[in-house]
Amino acid sequence: MTTDTQWRVFEVFHQQSRGEPHIHVGSVHATDGESALLMAKEQFGRRQACVNIWVVPAEAITETRYEDADIFEHGTDKSYREAFGYETTKRARAIGDTKEL
Amino acid sequence: MPAEAVQTQLSPAVRAAVLDLIYRLADDSVVLGHRNSEWTGLGPILEEDIAFSSMAQDKMGHAQALFTLLHELGEPEPDANAFLRTTEQYRCCELVALPRGDWAFSLVRQFLFAEADRIRFELVSTSSYTPLAHLARKLHGELKYHVMHGRMWMTRFGKGTTEGRERIQAAINIAYPYALGLFEPTSQDEAIALHGIGPSESTVREQWQGEIESVLREAGLTLPKDAKAVFGGRVGKHGKDLADMLESMQRVYRIDPSAKW
Amino acid sequence: MVMQPTRCSDDKPGDPSYATHLAAFEARVARGDKVEPGDWMPWDYRQQLIRLIHVHANSEICGALPEGGWIPHAPTFKRKLALCAKVQDEVGHGQLLYRAAETLGKSREEMIDELITGKAKYSNVFHYHAKTWADVCVIAWLIDAAAIVNQTMMADGSYGPYGRALKRICYEEAFHLTHGYDMCISLATGSKVQREMLQDAVNRWWDPIMMFHGPSDKESTHTELLMRWRIKLMTNDEQRQTFLKKYLPKVFNLGLTVPDPNLRFDETEKVWHYTEPNWKRFLEVVRGGGPASALRLATRRMAHEEGAWVRRALFAVESGKRVPMPTAA
Repeated sequence: MTTDTQWRVFEVFHQQSRGEPHIHVGSVHATDGESALLMAKEQFGRRQACVNIWVVPAEAITETRYEDADIFEHGTDKSYREAFGYETTKRARAIGDTKEL
Repeated sequence: MPAEAVQTQLSPAVRAAVLDLIYRLADDSVVLGHRNSEWTGLGPILEEDIAFSSMAQDKMGHAQALFTLLHELGEPEPDANAFLRTTEQYRCCELVALPRGDWAFSLVRQFLFAEADRIRFELVSTSSYTPLAHLARKLHGELKYHVMHGRMWMTRFGKGTTEGRERIQAAINIAYPYALGLFEPTSQDEAIALHGIGPSESTVREQWQGEIESVLREAGLTLPKDAKAVFGGRVGKHGKDLADMLESMQRVYRIDPSAKW
Repeated sequence: MVMQPTRCSDDKPGDPSYATHLAAFEARVARGDKVEPGDWMPWDYRQQLIRLIHVHANSEICGALPEGGWIPHAPTFKRKLALCAKVQDEVGHGQLLYRAAETLGKSREEMIDELITGKAKYSNVFHYHAKTWADVCVIAWLIDAAAIVNQTMMADGSYGPYGRALKRICYEEAFHLTHGYDMCISLATGSKVQREMLQDAVNRWWDPIMMFHGPSDKESTHTELLMRWRIKLMTNDEQRQTFLKKYLPKVFNLGLTVPDPNLRFDETEKVWHYTEPNWKRFLEVVRGGGPASALRLATRRMAHEEGAWVRRALFAVESGKRVPMPTAA
């Protein structure tokens, strides 16, 4: 009896207030972007504060594979990219700079 | 403004006009909210089920707020007012009293009602009766969503398959004469406009006609020609549908109206 | 159209790489790491999860029916609004859960078809009639309480999308529980008619509630594997005890009794003893032999078939058009 009339999937992103990033909250089945927005407004915005919603067709999203998560791992020490990787406060004090960096 | 202050400030003529308007708004809201809430759990797709239920809750909430305004004018408290009045005492139009029918009918009814509702509350937001004006301004966002929802579906179905378009068109043909009953003028129609409490029904009707015609034209849908408005609801002349609905709605409350539920 | 996220193929026991993959998978789960849709997972893990989430989703949309039928009769605005919002949440939970199951490769349409043709199950408690307003109060309080015990536990399970859906569901269930308890307090502290109505509802719902968490650990077949893979984190009997410990004192505090002569709290073992539910009857009920089973399926089937034209009519619509906005009045 299955005749597949399932509508497309849209991923839904919420912005809680101006200045905040949009955050993924779930997805809806809808015919098109505009109707997906109106459906998402009630399924995901009927309680939490929200000022803006994005919907994106699920098939438009390209993602990395979890089995490739090792590409995010650091093979060597990358602490030179971080503030904590330096002992500059100590060195600055030594030269008489006691103010915050 | 404290309730007493409002009451004493209104002349008998103004009070009668205010009551007439708010009772109509409140009764339309509670009856439509009730009818649309019957769809919760039974919608055509889960997402729309949720959206439709939210709009039903909105209308029920509007009714509660409007009955609260009436209570401030010395009328019974909201629950007693909605759950104990008889069919003849209700002032809703027949459009909202009709059973939910199929989803095409409920959707079209909601669309036609929401268009009028938004215009009405927009015009009432400058009402000389300030508690009502204040409430109308608070409902702005919800009513805008109701209009967006109705228009979204009308334009989609109008451009979808023949089957969908025909079902929606059939529902429009049935609902339209009842929708014209939304604008049945009451004996207070002139007084309401005269005292700046709200618009006359002909003003709302005129704007509404323009809005729905342009949406339906865009969607490729039409209004039936020579439709005759179904009047009577505003003077308490209702069919069996409203009586059945109120029996269902008031059943538990009436087991013991003095009880706390 | 339907998402098939399986980029890594599953293995079954006996496949050449099964043992290697399984060891890595089980190590990840044991660490408390979550499994995500694109990951390798044992074929059995996928099937068990689909079965479980599917039944859970079905239970939400079938659970909307007994209470939904009472929305028209809800006394007072507050109760009507809250009941409507609660039933709406259940539909919303169904939406979230079918979506979570879809990430495992089974479409919502397929799952709903299996439900309405009687091939897929839903929770035992929704196979019974909600006969009075007090039934609605007892369902909202005690059945939602029982469901919260189950869902709070499951929310910490190993499958990421299911856990995410359950976190949101648990948040909303907190409102259901409060709403239900509040209604029960009204009846329990109300008139004689109201108190009798509530006691009668508790009497009729007690057996189904005791069966809610599923067969006793002595009879349950899947538990061991489900717990190792962190699909389940508590056994059925553990969940039942958690529920009884928290809610029975509240039930008694309302002046209510429950219809089980063997019910007693063992102070030394710190457990409730009770009459073992009739698990044979439980299986009959969930297989469609409950008093309201036929009605529930008929209603769901009607809703699905009457809505079919909507889904068909817009299946092909690809309108990028903006929704026309009302002109300013």
